[in-house]
Amino acid sequence: MSKSAELDATAEVKKQYIVVTLGDEFYGLDISFVDNIVRMQKITRVPKAPTHYKGVINLRGEVVPVMSIRKKMGLQEDVITNATRIIILKLQDQGFVGILVDSVNEVFSLGESEIERNFNTKDSKSNFINGIGKNEARLISLFDIDKIATEASK
Amino acid sequence: MDVSQYLDVFIDESNEHIQSLSDNIMILEKEPENADTINEIFRAAHSLKGMAGTMGFKKMQHLTHDMENVFQEVRNDNVKVNSDLIDILFDCLDAIEGYVSTIKETSDEGSEDNAVTIKKLNDFLTKETGSDIVSEKTPEVETTVAETASETNSSDEQNDAVAYTHLPLSDDDKMKVIDELEGGANVIGITVNTSKECLLKAARAFLVYKAVEEFGEIIAYSPSAQDVEDEKFETEFSLLLQTDCDQDDIKSAIENVSEIKSAVIGPVNLDMYHENVAVQEAPDKSETPKVEKTKTILSTIDNSKEQASKTSKNAIAAANKGKPVATRTVRVDIDKLDDLMNQVSELIIAKNTLVARANSSEAEGGADLTEQIEYLERITTGLHESVMKVRMVPIESVVNKFPRMIRDLSRKLNKPMDLIMSGEETELDRTVVDQIGDPLQHLLRNSADHGIEDPKTRKMSGKPETGKIWLTAYQEGNNVIIKVKDDGAGIDTDSVLRKAIERGIVSEEEGKKLSKKEIANFLFMPSFSMAKKITDISGRGVGLDVVKSNVESLGGDVEVHSEMGVGSTFTVRLPLTLAIIQALMVEVRDEKYAIALASIQNIEYIPVTDIKYVQAKEVIYLRGTVIPLVHMDTILDCQDTEDKPEDITVVVVNKGDSSVGVVVDNLIGQQEIVIKSLGKVIEDNKYISGATILGDGEVALIIDVNSLF
Repeated sequence: MSKSAELDATAEVKKQYIVVTLGDEFYGLDISFVDNIVRMQKITRVPKAPTHYKGVINLRGEVVPVMSIRKKMGLQEDVITNATRIIILKLQDQGFVGILVDSVNEVFSLGESEIERNFNTKDSKSNFINGIGKNEARLISLFDIDKIATEASK
Repeated sequence: MDVSQYLDVFIDESNEHIQSLSDNIMILEKEPENADTINEIFRAAHSLKGMAGTMGFKKMQHLTHDMENVFQEVRNDNVKVNSDLIDILFDCLDAIEGYVSTIKETSDEGSEDNAVTIKKLNDFLTKETGSDIVSEKTPEVETTVAETASETNSSDEQNDAVAYTHLPLSDDDKMKVIDELEGGANVIGITVNTSKECLLKAARAFLVYKAVEEFGEIIAYSPSAQDVEDEKFETEFSLLLQTDCDQDDIKSAIENVSEIKSAVIGPVNLDMYHENVAVQEAPDKSETPKVEKTKTILSTIDNSKEQASKTSKNAIAAANKGKPVATRTVRVDIDKLDDLMNQVSELIIAKNTLVARANSSEAEGGADLTEQIEYLERITTGLHESVMKVRMVPIESVVNKFPRMIRDLSRKLNKPMDLIMSGEETELDRTVVDQIGDPLQHLLRNSADHGIEDPKTRKMSGKPETGKIWLTAYQEGNNVIIKVKDDGAGIDTDSVLRKAIERGIVSEEEGKKLSKKEIANFLFMPSFSMAKKITDISGRGVGLDVVKSNVESLGGDVEVHSEMGVGSTFTVRLPLTLAIIQALMVEVRDEKYAIALASIQNIEYIPVTDIKYVQAKEVIYLRGTVIPLVHMDTILDCQDTEDKPEDITVVVVNKGDSSVGVVVDNLIGQQEIVIKSLGKVIEDNKYISGATILGDGEVALIIDVNSLF
């Protein structure tokens, strides 16, 4: 924890994160980007689309692309279970994009002082992470939504 | 109240007048003596001037005023129309357009005062008339004008001189007037008439109020200020003013506001508004203002000219009275229409859900349900068509700027050419019309620059010196076809091929096999410019490929046909509607896809044994035509299946003249589908043009048939 963060700790504004799981790890998504969380539903495959795109779904009459964040991060294939959810992100330029997660746990508030920004795991998944939130014993990797957005449009 | 709320109206109307000016100046160029056209131009320039004045755009007003002056002289036969004048007029037009677009962007006319253009106009006027003619001629005009004007006004006065003497005032206002009068204040009544053609009545009234307020305090309005602001009055409005100023000053101040036909002023006395006194007769005073009026009119040249035009306008309006033009239209914000369209789309999806439900539960639901659903289906289809129709606009609004463009190009390139347009009334969806302008402009420029040869060459090859470009639009089934044709040199396919080989697009071997049409299509590839030298008209290689991608983004396609020495034709095919189409639903493995019905020619069941091979490609031979086959499952990367059927289902689709047989696993049936975008992230998918939501909520993809050719 950096010193300045410690000093600001009293006045800091806490941000809310949605905590999801991918495998055994916990990940956090800034709630202000999340439009909706929907249950797994039939995903229509789009031929010739990039492989990390699972396809498109019908979200209240709109067609929304669904991305596999696991594929993008080099993790194992998604295993669809009853707990699988699609998090619908609302991005500035790309509109709605859904990402597949194994399960959704809770909503959590984190202040900047509880987030570790300096880390380097030198691994492809850290590309999408811009901080690690500490919550008691758990570590929550925080997704960099901007990164996801730029990846989404690639 | 503030005039900015009229800005939209102002911009719309200005554009209409500019267009009318442009059209008429074009006509004038060909028929310099056409009096109707000259009058029409005069009217448009005058209206523009009036509107600019009202909105306080002084520079624009100045320019249009000088244009009007020139036309005044043209009308009086003091000036002959020649090509110099036409050029100057087009300059003016460009300048006015510049003002309007600046106003559109910034709500201000900007700082450009176009002094050069104005100077040209005035120089032309002085040169052609000789300055003394102007000064000699004007007084004569003035007197006649003054006479007619006073005549018009006096005849009007019989009707409205009394208006301010018995205004239907509210009790409060009445009390106020009586109070003022009893207190010994000097109250005068004013009744103002706007001219019949006045477009921004409320704005004029506002300016009148402003002018009047300089002289005193307005005690009462009739109709009420609110009604006037909402334009709830015909041409006349009155007010009562508490003032000590001279009536003539007030009068001339009011009449300085443009498009105000007349103002009648007279004192108000206690009798008129005393509760128990009913006023029937006009006061004797009305005689005085009449005389004053003539004087006022004579006082300034500007005023008299304006009156002159008004009188002539009135005369024309009267002449036109035989056939009243009732415009039964409403201006609607396009966003509102989009909303409506979306709602209709949702309704259709909901209806499709019902249809699917009814089909699955047919046994229990019975005939009654099906009948009701069919009824609902009819209504939704009708509703959809109506909404679609509302969104349709003629392509006229886009193409009517082209004659001017071709004229300018013709001068710039020193090649005489004519543009012949037909089918301007053909209607297309508003969104398509908005975006089709640029591609068409590219094609026309292309024809003018590369297509049409210079007059010498044309003469040598036995063609008339003047080149011809045709722009034709018509509806064909669910498509609108727009053709740009020229009688120029045509496309030299050999040199196109050489260039393609040079660029490494095809090998020499492959090149030999290509048809002329295929070669011509190379022109649509990015940065493939055939121009030997780059001009500022075309030839930078960013032309035809942009045309192609623009047209394709609208769901259409573009083709070229060309014959050396005879000319080329570019054919743009556009869908009539964008949002909802009839489609055939097909199945490939367990996935559902939609194919637009409009592109389907027929459906065939073919035994596998009938598949033939040409150049190692599968084809079928159907009623005298060879149709290449495309297997949907391979194109869409589906998994292979074990079972090979004996018959294949072939959906024959066409694009232009060519056909392709699309092999699918199963047919599901015809359905009305709502086209949705795939979302920005996977938008540029070659084989998929969009998605739709089926009755069961599932998403099905729409196959872009054009990509299969």
